Amino acid sequence: MKEISRLCFVLTIIAAVSAGVLAFVSQETEEPIKQALLDEKLSAVKSVLPPFDNDPDKDTVIVRSGGLDYTVYRGRKEGEIIGAAFSVVAPNGYGGEIEFLVGVDPDGVITGIVVLKHLETPGLGAKIEDAAFLDQFKGTSLADTAVVWDTHKEGGSFKHITGATISSRAVTHTTARGLEFFAENRDAILDLGGDKEEESKE
Amino acid sequence: MSTGKEFLKGFWSENPIFRLVLGLCPTLAVTTTAENGIGMGLASTFVLVCSNLVIATIRNFIPKKVRIPAFIITIATFVTIVDLVMNGYFHALHKSLGLFIPLIVVNCIILGRAEAFASKNGIYISIVDGLGMGFGFTVSLFVIGAIREVIGNGTIFDIPLFGSSFLPLLLMILPPGAFIVLGVLLGLMNKAEIRLAKRAGRQPLIRKEHDCASCAIHQGWFGLGSGASVAAKEQD
Repeated sequence: MKEISRLCFVLTIIAAVSAGVLAFVSQETEEPIKQALLDEKLSAVKSVLPPFDNDPDKDTVIVRSGGLDYTVYRGRKEGEIIGAAFSVVAPNGYGGEIEFLVGVDPDGVITGIVVLKHLETPGLGAKIEDAAFLDQFKGTSLADTAVVWDTHKEGGSFKHITGATISSRAVTHTTARGLEFFAENRDAILDLGGDKEEESKE
Repeated sequence: MSTGKEFLKGFWSENPIFRLVLGLCPTLAVTTTAENGIGMGLASTFVLVCSNLVIATIRNFIPKKVRIPAFIITIATFVTIVDLVMNGYFHALHKSLGLFIPLIVVNCIILGRAEAFASKNGIYISIVDGLGMGFGFTVSLFVIGAIREVIGNGTIFDIPLFGSSFLPLLLMILPPGAFIVLGVLLGLMNKAEIRLAKRAGRQPLIRKEHDCASCAIHQGWFGLGSGASVAAKEQD
C-alpha cells in the first residue's frame, strides 16, 4: 500500500510537470501556428487570383450548395471584385480525396488552380500539383463551348498525366463542377442579387 | 569510456539504424527525400537529447517499477513540443513529415537510450550519448533519403541533377525503394565492418541475428559452412 502510493506520487509529479510545460508551449505556439495556417491559405489564394489589394481571408462569403457550406474568398482591386477563389474536393482521386482551390474571374473564366491536399502516388498522380498540368485550365470557362470537360483519353480537351489518368480525370471533372457551382451562385458571390447576400450574412 | 567514444559510437559501432536496426518505421516511411530525412533526424535528435537529459537528471528519483511510464511521459512531452514548434515555425516541413512527428514517441531508439543509457549514467555523458545517437540517426536517414531522391526523382534538395531526358526510377521513392536501399546499405556496411575488423584483428561488430547464415529461414542454405555451424551452436 505504501509503495503504491509512492509510485502514484512520483508519476503524478512527472505528469503534472509535463502538463505545465506543455500548457506553456501550447500557449506560446498558438499564434504562430494560426499565422502559418493563414499564410498557407493566403498564398494559395494569391496564386490563383489576379493581383488584388484587399484581404481575401476577411472578404469571404459562405455559400450553401448541395447541403454543404463553401467559403468563397473574394479578391478586390479598388473595391471592385476581380476574382473569387473557392476550394473543391474531388472524391474520386486514385489515393483518396483531392482538394484544390479554383480561382475564377467575375465571368467564370479560370484564373488559376492550386492543389491543397492529395494522397496520390508520388511521381505519378502527384504530378497533378505541377504547373504543366494545372496551367492548361487557365483561361477556360463553361461559356466556352469548344472546351470538353474531360481528358484527351476520353475525347476531352485536357491533357492527362501519363500513368495517372484517374487522378487527371478526377481533377478535370471536379474543376467543371466547381465552375457550375460558381455559375449557380454567381449573384451571391459577386454581391449582385440582394436576397442571397442577405442570407449569407446571417 | 571517453566522451569522444560515446559520441562517435552512434555513427558506426552502435549506429541506430545499421547496427542496432532500431527505429525502422520512420526510417522506411519518411526518407523519400534528403530534406525529409534530415528534418526527421534532427527532430528525433532534439527529443533524444532532451529526454536523455531529463531522465539522467531524475534517474534516482524514479522508482524502478514505474520507470517505463515515466520515460514515456517525458518523451511524449518533448515530442509534443517539437510538433507544436515545428507546426508554428517550420510549417512546410511539418506538413511533409506529417504523422511521423507524433510517432517519434514510439521510436525505439529514444526509449531504448533512456532505458539502456540515460537511466544508468550521468547527465553530461547522457547528453553526449543522445547527440551521438541522434546525429548517427540523422546521417543515416540523410544517406537513405539522398539515394532515394537522386534515383527516384532525379533531384537532391529539390535541385535537378540530370537533364530532362532522365527518367526517374519511381520505385525508389515508393515504399519498396526504402527496403531496397536499407537492405543494400546494411549489407555494404556489414561487408565493410568485416573487412575493418579483419584488418584490426578483432571480432566484427555484426550481431549474430543479423547474419544470414544464422537466420532460421536460411538454415541449411549454407551447408556445413563454418559460419553457419558456429552461429547455430552458439545460439543453442
